[in-house]
Amino acid sequence: MRGIRAMRAIKVWKIRSLVQHAGFIVMMYGGRFGVHLGSAIPCFACPFVPGCGGYCYLMGLQGYIGFGMSAVAAGGVGLLAALGWFALFAMLVALLGKLWCGWVCPFGLIQDWLSALRRAFGVRERTIPRNTARRLTRVKYLLLSGIVVIPPLATAGILHEDFYLPFCNICPGKSILPLFAGEARYLALNLDNRVTLGFSIALLAITGVMLVGMFFRDRFFCVFCPFLALIHLLKPITLLGLTKEPESCIGCGNCRRVCPMAIEAVYKERVSRDVQGDACLDCASCVEACPSDFALSINFSKLRLFRSSRDYVAELKGKFGR
Amino acid sequence: MNLNLNLKMNLEDKEIGIPTERTLKILKKASERAKAEVEKNLKSLAEREDYSPQFDYFMKLCGGEQTPEAIERRTGRSAARLLCIQAPIELIHAAGFHPYKIASGSQAMTSLAAHGLPALMCPMIRAVIGAVLESGPGSGTSPVTSPWILPTTCDWVAKFPEMLRSFGVENRIHWMELPHLKDGDAGQARWLEEVFGLKKFLETSGAKIGRKSLADSVRIYDDAWRALNRLAKMRREERIANVWFMLIAGSFFLDSPERWTEAALSIAPSSAPPSGPGRARVFLAGSPIFFPNFKLLHLLEDTGITVAADDLCSGERVFPGAVACKDTSEFGIISALAQRYHQGCLCPTFIDNDRRVNGILCEKRTAGLRGVVFHVLKGCHPYDLESLGIERILKERGLRFLRIETDYASEDSQNLRTRLEAYRRTFGGERDEL
Repeated sequence: MRGIRAMRAIKVWKIRSLVQHAGFIVMMYGGRFGVHLGSAIPCFACPFVPGCGGYCYLMGLQGYIGFGMSAVAAGGVGLLAALGWFALFAMLVALLGKLWCGWVCPFGLIQDWLSALRRAFGVRERTIPRNTARRLTRVKYLLLSGIVVIPPLATAGILHEDFYLPFCNICPGKSILPLFAGEARYLALNLDNRVTLGFSIALLAITGVMLVGMFFRDRFFCVFCPFLALIHLLKPITLLGLTKEPESCIGCGNCRRVCPMAIEAVYKERVSRDVQGDACLDCASCVEACPSDFALSINFSKLRLFRSSRDYVAELKGKFGR
Repeated sequence: MNLNLNLKMNLEDKEIGIPTERTLKILKKASERAKAEVEKNLKSLAEREDYSPQFDYFMKLCGGEQTPEAIERRTGRSAARLLCIQAPIELIHAAGFHPYKIASGSQAMTSLAAHGLPALMCPMIRAVIGAVLESGPGSGTSPVTSPWILPTTCDWVAKFPEMLRSFGVENRIHWMELPHLKDGDAGQARWLEEVFGLKKFLETSGAKIGRKSLADSVRIYDDAWRALNRLAKMRREERIANVWFMLIAGSFFLDSPERWTEAALSIAPSSAPPSGPGRARVFLAGSPIFFPNFKLLHLLEDTGITVAADDLCSGERVFPGAVACKDTSEFGIISALAQRYHQGCLCPTFIDNDRRVNGILCEKRTAGLRGVVFHVLKGCHPYDLESLGIERILKERGLRFLRIETDYASEDSQNLRTRLEAYRRTFGGERDEL
């Protein structure tokens, strides 16, 4: 508790921004100075970026370290390897939870840059109507099931072989992130066959929609990101998370207003301490903006890492949600 | 005092516009009494042991002239008069006005507005009516340049202009219909409309409210909130007396926020307070308390009860502050303000106000409080009614609860003192050295 109090002078949003940029450099350019963190990174460390510093686990899950037919075809060893990679992924998630999304993910940072650009222009942030938003939350689970189901079908020959890596083929990370390493080829149409052409047209369309969406709405892509679904499914073993003391909440609504994912549940919760929903990025903006001394906190298991306080809000001097 | 007014003192005086000799006499007498009341209270403040010249600025504000004209002279902006804190002051400020919440704690003023009004009535509204009659807002330029901005909070506010009209005083009023269910979408959407309506109204003065001016105003009031929070913290640590805190908070609207902030930041904490077991550190909740009616505050202090925190709309809640806003577009700021002033408000006029008690429970932990004194102004029904539910919850949480119902009159002082002393004794321990 004493330590936390001393930390109050440090602004969490500044640390977060620093970590995000460091994460960006490691994930995007790590390979260029000999860093490669393996194939189980729980964020968009895109393998299509030349010289990247690790591989996104979603790629592995679809491909050579997934649980699909390729693992079965490789015999027991393949399955064991798949389990091993999953265990590593689960451990990384258990330790840091959605910090991977809010604090590390390079694609998340690009979205934050676009939001900053929107703010600089004074353009109003668009909201997604509540009913639409509720329907959209299902998309990430659909994508996740596609990631698990489609590659084995491709391996088994039921689907065309180019359905291997179905998610990567439509992931805007694949088209946008390599641009930062001077690689623009994934924006071109792939004329190999009808499947690849279809995928590349879809990717271009999705990239366009996402770029527009991400400019007008904070973290627009995260709404659809299968990582959020997958990490949320591992919530029972995740140590890091957001909790609320509903009996300390005065209902000012700051948490709801600064949330990049426009989550309302944190504001509305009146009973449960568990407010870590599937859309939460653990970015801690709500904890920063909460003027109640006990209401919100980010915890690692039983250890309270950062707790909301009125004094912290006063010292923020209006720098909310950066 | 401005006696050139369009004033009908009571219903017998048929000749509106020409004050009768009797009217003038009553006015003059009330005005003198009010002045004496203020001077007596200022004098007692100046004679306190912990008085220091750093409080002079705030004493001068609270004791000085508070007419719109005086406010306009002081701030260099046209005054926009408020009775509550539901209309976003940042928005009003961004339009070039000085938002100014009129509140009066003057006993003399309540008697001035005695005729033709309900016997059991909010003394604050009665005193404000008295002050309006005394300063004569029906004359000169003030009705045009200084509009009233009135969200329909309690019935007293809703009927306030009607009551003024019964005295022959017409005012320029902009109503904001306040949805009393604040947690639902319908209410919030409705209120946002009202806030945009206010923007439109303010812009009829020729001002243009833009992103830049809004952001500036939010920053100015955020600075002020930081200064207020600093003082609240000092009070929690007993480095400033509650009476001074209330005086400073109560003077907030009487000068430009920048000047007030500067003065508030320059207040130095006093030396470390006495400590030990058995100290009666309490939370002060309920109806607002305005200068010069500091009767209850003095009585609390005299009986050895230390107010370490409050949620009065004349104290820590004098303006909401801490408006978090990530969407810094014009719409984003206005909608953030609308939400902060509506769903974030803890006024008992709201039906779904169940979270109000959470603020008190938080302070119980932060400030180590052991009791709650709930102040009800006679006639202030919303607070009166809400005290029932709050009492039950707080007692369950082990806080000693005392409900004090009083008004501006000093006759019940002895009675209150006895009750407060009995309450003080329930805390055990020695009486604090004062």
